[in-house]
Amino acid sequence: MHNAHEHEFKIPVGPQHPSLKEPENFSVALKGERILGVDIRLGYNHRGIEKAAEERTYVQDVYLIERVCGICSHAHSTAFVQAVEEIAKLQVPRRALYIRSIIGELERIHSHFLWLGVAGHEIGFDTLLMYTWRDREVVMDLLAQITGNRVNYGMNTIGGVRRDISDEQRKDILKGIDRLEERAKYYIKLALEETTIIKRLSGVGVVSHDDAIRLGAVGPTARASEVDRDVRRDDPYAAYAEISFNVITDDHNDVYGRTIVRLKELLESVKMLRQLLSGLPEGPIAIRVARKIPAGEALSRYEAPRGEDVHYVKSNGTEKPERVKIRAPTLANIQAVKHMLRDRYLADLPIVIAAIDPCFSCTDRLIAVDHLDSHKKEVMKWEDLRRYSIDWHKERGFDFSKLGAKLKG
Amino acid sequence: MMIMERIVNWARLKSPWILHFNSGACNACDIEIVAALTPRYDLERFGILLKGTPRHADILLCSGPVTLQIEDRLIRIYEQMAEPKFVVAVGTCACSGGVFQGCYNVLSGIDKAIPVSAYIPGCPASPKAIIDGVVKLLASLEEKGEKEARVVENE
Amino acid sequence: MSNEEGTRAEIINKLNIAEDKISILRPRRISCEVEYSDFAEAFKALTADLKFNVLCAITGLDEADRLSVIYHLAKDDGTVLNLKTSVEKNNPVIQTITTFFSSAEVYERELVDLFGFKVEGLPEGNRYPLTDDWPKDEHPLRKDWKPKQ
Repeated sequence: MHNAHEHEFKIPVGPQHPSLKEPENFSVALKGERILGVDIRLGYNHRGIEKAAEERTYVQDVYLIERVCGICSHAHSTAFVQAVEEIAKLQVPRRALYIRSIIGELERIHSHFLWLGVAGHEIGFDTLLMYTWRDREVVMDLLAQITGNRVNYGMNTIGGVRRDISDEQRKDILKGIDRLEERAKYYIKLALEETTIIKRLSGVGVVSHDDAIRLGAVGPTARASEVDRDVRRDDPYAAYAEISFNVITDDHNDVYGRTIVRLKELLESVKMLRQLLSGLPEGPIAIRVARKIPAGEALSRYEAPRGEDVHYVKSNGTEKPERVKIRAPTLANIQAVKHMLRDRYLADLPIVIAAIDPCFSCTDRLIAVDHLDSHKKEVMKWEDLRRYSIDWHKERGFDFSKLGAKLKG
Repeated sequence: MMIMERIVNWARLKSPWILHFNSGACNACDIEIVAALTPRYDLERFGILLKGTPRHADILLCSGPVTLQIEDRLIRIYEQMAEPKFVVAVGTCACSGGVFQGCYNVLSGIDKAIPVSAYIPGCPASPKAIIDGVVKLLASLEEKGEKEARVVENE
Repeated sequence: MSNEEGTRAEIINKLNIAEDKISILRPRRISCEVEYSDFAEAFKALTADLKFNVLCAITGLDEADRLSVIYHLAKDDGTVLNLKTSVEKNNPVIQTITTFFSSAEVYERELVDLFGFKVEGLPEGNRYPLTDDWPKDEHPLRKDWKPKQ
């Protein structure tokens, strides 16, 4: 299926140095514009956290593990303290469990609004980035007010939480989530009605239900292929067994579906927050815990905004853990990404990657492109690929600048 | 107010362009850098633009403690920037390694790989602190002359 | 009988495990240990017959003269089984489970890089998570490994 356009196509390339040894994050084999295969190389933000966790005390580790990922920091810190509390057979006060859940759902809201903006940026819809991140400031303010920090909340300690939520703060949260709910509903309407968005995101990054299960996908990525799994319902932790909520699934099996799932999860989080806030039990927010944790082990699971987060802790009777293992959700979605990109256009790569909401923190990813037809190899920067993708889609009628002018709120 | 006027002048003269690079950070500082560009904080009113390529950047805003995988890329990007160029270490990890100091696989700070002009601590550095730090860097450039600029620790 | 008690009984029955090698940690959490020579059969039975259809994670452990692996498997009812096995540290060879769970590929690469396991049957691919020029015989998560400062 050759045409002149394929042979004329040029990808802008950065300067190559002989001593350049920066491994590319993605290696893509292209036949014409179609991807034959993808090789993904990670490790860019491998900092050696699991090793460091063995060399620090449990309390120091709460601070460390919160910083596995700044976007879902509360997810990681909660998963960790839950495991330690389980080993030590602690009865964490109910009020603390509710507060953990409240912070967890507020975090999900910030993360999903963040994702919407990032997805907009990847497809050339920068106005959406500006609007959604402005809306997101409502929840950032709430988190800063309750926890003292916009990001990395430091709410958890072993045995409970470190800060309480006052009645005044409770009222502010309820007011804030009203506004967030209103905005989420607006974006849902946009996603359901705007043909540019629907067409741009549909049929992209397709994973069938069976493949999603086979490949081990988690979170909204899997739920958009009707995989009905959510740790909050299936393996409840914190206060989730005490409230009622729906697990959002969708049957589009693609990036559009992942967008719908995240948007509807925003509404579900608001519903959960109203229950948690009105049902917030009285009582202490933490119990005292000895520094030495008795020997034992625990496997803790948490439904982070990106999907299932797994922490395994093994203790040895000292004040430092024997082993801490962390499996963040993005790692579980990598196999699915390779599958999604096969036989797709290079121009689909940015939004497909963005749609799993990746937590491999490296904004300047490199893509090695191997043009099998012309035997040409080159390296693209993410920004170049993003621009290429936006221009490619503009040629096919996708121009979000007009839609940007229509945005309200 | 004096600083504001100097910044506006500097921006009129130069309109500094920024490159954002994550050297293995947890993403917290990175989302605050992006937040600094969104309407509420609006770094762009200073004429500061986020650019995707080192060739056009005046200021490198760098987060993260520098993992071994990323070290070469960071150095490469710094080398591709044209003089005069300035590096801002955003966040405690970029300043000193932060909570990852001493971990295998990290250098423990940007200045272990490239020269740094300004340090903005915080875990993460908030958008206000980032703007404050960048603005202070620009002000010090105006005052002291570009080659000697060095700002440590915004308040 | 609770879910996990039922599941525990099923596992003992199907896998022929001794009572003292399998314990209930708390609701929805079971731990059990098998000899590596029994691992392949046990894994097949757990995934095919006993409906453990989710691989949550794979944890490597350095335990003196042995290297251990825990496969964390989950079922639809939320029960998680920590299936532990071990091999000798001076010949830490295990078989890949990517034929059961393709997501295991990157978890097994971690075992190779960070502990020094040899995983037979692992497809060709980039190492993870260490750099290409990381020394071959240095495995950071082994207890006797210290970073050079």
